[in-house]
Amino acid sequence: MSMILLVALLAGLLAGIVLALLQKHVWQVPSLRFLWLVVIGFLPQAVIFYLPPTHSGIPDQVVGSSLIFSQVVLLVFCWFNRRVAGIWILACGLVLNLMVIAANSGFMPISPQTASHVVPATVLAKYQIGSRFGTGKDILLLAENTRLVWLSDQFLPPAWFPYQVAFSLGDILIAAGAFWLMLTQGKPLRSAK
Amino acid sequence: MQTKLAQLSIFVSKFDRRYLQLAFVLLALVMLVLGAGAPEDGGRGMCR
Repeated sequence: MSMILLVALLAGLLAGIVLALLQKHVWQVPSLRFLWLVVIGFLPQAVIFYLPPTHSGIPDQVVGSSLIFSQVVLLVFCWFNRRVAGIWILACGLVLNLMVIAANSGFMPISPQTASHVVPATVLAKYQIGSRFGTGKDILLLAENTRLVWLSDQFLPPAWFPYQVAFSLGDILIAAGAFWLMLTQGKPLRSAK
Repeated sequence: MQTKLAQLSIFVSKFDRRYLQLAFVLLALVMLVLGAGAPEDGGRGMCR
């Protein structure tokens, strides 16, 4: 699970509610159009990455193509909602992730060195270079064989942090956009009525 | 079947529409960030 992204969304929601209360405003549901595009866009990923009965056994080529299709649909949603605060930051992150994923056969690259911080060495040894890393979106690639390596999952939290996760520049922008979107939904009470 | 649909409709109508809207928007935003992002924490399909 992409815990860091969900935490950013939840933190933005809580911060937005607290900020609205402090300013004696009311927190409002973000006004987003074409929400059904998100459902359409996420559906392939739900089947491929999140549903246990279906997330294994699908050919890698189908997985890669589906991920690109899915993210393009989500990008279209962002375009329709580009005037909503935070969405454009999130969209920038999505574009960066989409670029590196499209440049690497439809998967997010992760180097063995970075992956070694996320899983034990015994688990990492089971994966070959060039193969999918588990059943997620990542593919194990040497940095020198990765296109747009600076956009890959190359960042890690400090070693002392109990939750180790590899993330990309795009992920940082997506988390920031989600946080900002939720934070800025406090509206004056008068205009909310 | 129609009776069940009617019962479901009555059940749903008892909720405040704003809460349903909030729940749907939050669900959509969860799907958006999960779909857009690609962090790796070794939690999916890793045989530890």
